[in-house]
Amino acid sequence: MSTLAQEFSKGIFKENPIFRLLLGMCPTLAVSITAINGFGMGVAALFVLLGSNLVIAALRNFIPSKVRIPAYILIIATFVTIVDMVLNAFTPDLHKALGIFIPLIVVNCIILGRAEAFARKNSVARSVIDALGMGVGFTLSLTILGIIRELFGKGSIFGVGVMGSAFEPMGILATAPGAFITLGIMLGFVNFMFKRLGIE
Amino acid sequence: MNLLAIVFVAILANNIVLNQFLGICPYLGVSKRIETSLGMGMAVIFVMAMSGIVTWIVYNYLLEPFGLVYLRTIAFILVIAGLVQLVETILKKTNPTLFRALGIYLPLITTNCTILGVALLNVQAGHNIIQTIVYAIAVAVGFTIALVIMAGIRERLELASVSSFLRGAAVSLVTAGILSLAFMGFKGMMTL
Amino acid sequence: MRNALRMALTLLIIGAICGGLLSVVNGITAPIIKDRADQQFLQALEGFFPDVAKFEVQDINGEEFYSCYDAAGKFMGVVGKVKAKGYGGDIAYDLAVNDTGDIIGMRIGAHNETPGIGDVINKDPFLQKIIGLKFTDPISAGVDVDTTSGATVSTGGMISSIRRVMNVIGENFLGMEVEKAEIDLTKVADGTYTGKARGFKSDITVQVVVSGGKITQIEIVSHDDTPGISDNAIKGMIPKIIEAQSLEVDMVSGATLTSQGIVNAVFEALK
Repeated sequence: MSTLAQEFSKGIFKENPIFRLLLGMCPTLAVSITAINGFGMGVAALFVLLGSNLVIAALRNFIPSKVRIPAYILIIATFVTIVDMVLNAFTPDLHKALGIFIPLIVVNCIILGRAEAFARKNSVARSVIDALGMGVGFTLSLTILGIIRELFGKGSIFGVGVMGSAFEPMGILATAPGAFITLGIMLGFVNFMFKRLGIE
Repeated sequence: MNLLAIVFVAILANNIVLNQFLGICPYLGVSKRIETSLGMGMAVIFVMAMSGIVTWIVYNYLLEPFGLVYLRTIAFILVIAGLVQLVETILKKTNPTLFRALGIYLPLITTNCTILGVALLNVQAGHNIIQTIVYAIAVAVGFTIALVIMAGIRERLELASVSSFLRGAAVSLVTAGILSLAFMGFKGMMTL
Repeated sequence: MRNALRMALTLLIIGAICGGLLSVVNGITAPIIKDRADQQFLQALEGFFPDVAKFEVQDINGEEFYSCYDAAGKFMGVVGKVKAKGYGGDIAYDLAVNDTGDIIGMRIGAHNETPGIGDVINKDPFLQKIIGLKFTDPISAGVDVDTTSGATVSTGGMISSIRRVMNVIGENFLGMEVEKAEIDLTKVADGTYTGKARGFKSDITVQVVVSGGKITQIEIVSHDDTPGISDNAIKGMIPKIIEAQSLEVDMVSGATLTSQGIVNAVFEALK
């Protein structure tokens, strides 16, 4: 049995959903255009993951295993819709920027994957920690990607200009091809670092 | 509205995978062989058209009249999950050949975000039933084309010597980036 | 049997709880979202008419029009909260017209036009073309406002919608005489008429045969528009006009300018 701290940190390093498990790529590519969008998407997914893991772990003895998938989908979709509504009400600009990728959190493989692989077999406390770790790992990765694309694509970080006026923004990083290429290179870099640091 | 424009935009100018970032997971996962890519593509075309029709009916005759539009995400995903299950069962009974060809891809489709994405986009754009069907099929064809091209490249890529850190997903993503760059060219055609 | 019942019941309970929860959250957030939209509209209203002191709302055919008055109660103009047909569905926008019938502002709200293609309607150059137009201007695609190539459907849709809204505003608020592009066929004597109007590249000449108070035949005498594209317009528009016995027909998309030219030419012939 691993400790709770290990349970938490695995989501950030060893089983980082984006860089290690390659899950949830669609929103990763689409919304990482700026740091704030990446962060917002990460927090939205974190909330859904937390809620669904919590409820599914709590109900794990109550839901018959034959209908568990539809039950999970129902629960996840509910949390997603709540996030959708709350973002629309309180952070309209972010809601507009994330657009269709908010409802699509429903089919984000991370969420259903954690429900199926973890929450239905573990206690509520462990499931919550697992969700926090995965969510934070997802948020961090998205934010880092967002910072890189925003820094070189627009010359700013979190909307604050940092590169000075002499800097010519690399517009390609803000486009679709830029998203793919940046993530690909990041992935290679992370693989390299993990090998160097001896984390497998 | 111009159906031809819908088809052109959905397949080339605004390709669902390369420009809209939907369906990346199956895109990276299933694009290793051309045959499997084609199989997946066919399954997606089939399910996409069906789910487009059903979600359109659910939205326009159930959710909207009763003021339940805010339940659309939950309703659509349930419809899609149910539909995939249904298609699987029916295919198994009536057409074993087709089932053997598409069967293994069907369960993967529930979590393919293109299906839910297209259902939501159709509603957002206010498409009528004809436009919904045309759009759904065009998007799925665009998905298949992107998948098959990628598979063709990856079959070659396996023979190339790539740094061990970049092997697999990393180099596939960079390849997808270059493909996406090529597809951007189609946007220029829109200004003709 | 008991198992199946339990499964169904479990799903039903979860579904009911989820549905209930969502309707509660929706009840909380929906008013906030609506309030903010209203607030944004009010801000826009003040942007168009800085001296606005009060306004009245009037509903015309399902669209809201706000007449604005200054502190002294003087009528300043109208803002319409209206919709146009675009490529990707409806485009909601606000159009502000002052008391002499000039467009003084436009704000594009929600739209789903393809980013980079249809969203030129939200860019400055297009807005510049619209602002300053007068009620008496034709406001017609290709005549005094150009569509943006590559986004003909979106921009063309906006332009014809603006003309329509201008007519509504002119008629209902400014007491302007609206010249209808509609022809009273009962007043047209039988015979053959020729009319000319600008198409995409140059003039389109048409010959219209009227008999028994009906348009029976339309023939394109000459035109200079791109073959292939204009053929669609010709093939599409003529049966449409004859069938509808009216000029209020949908344009052939992809060939909007030629279509509009044909309609205008028929109008010129019969007026």
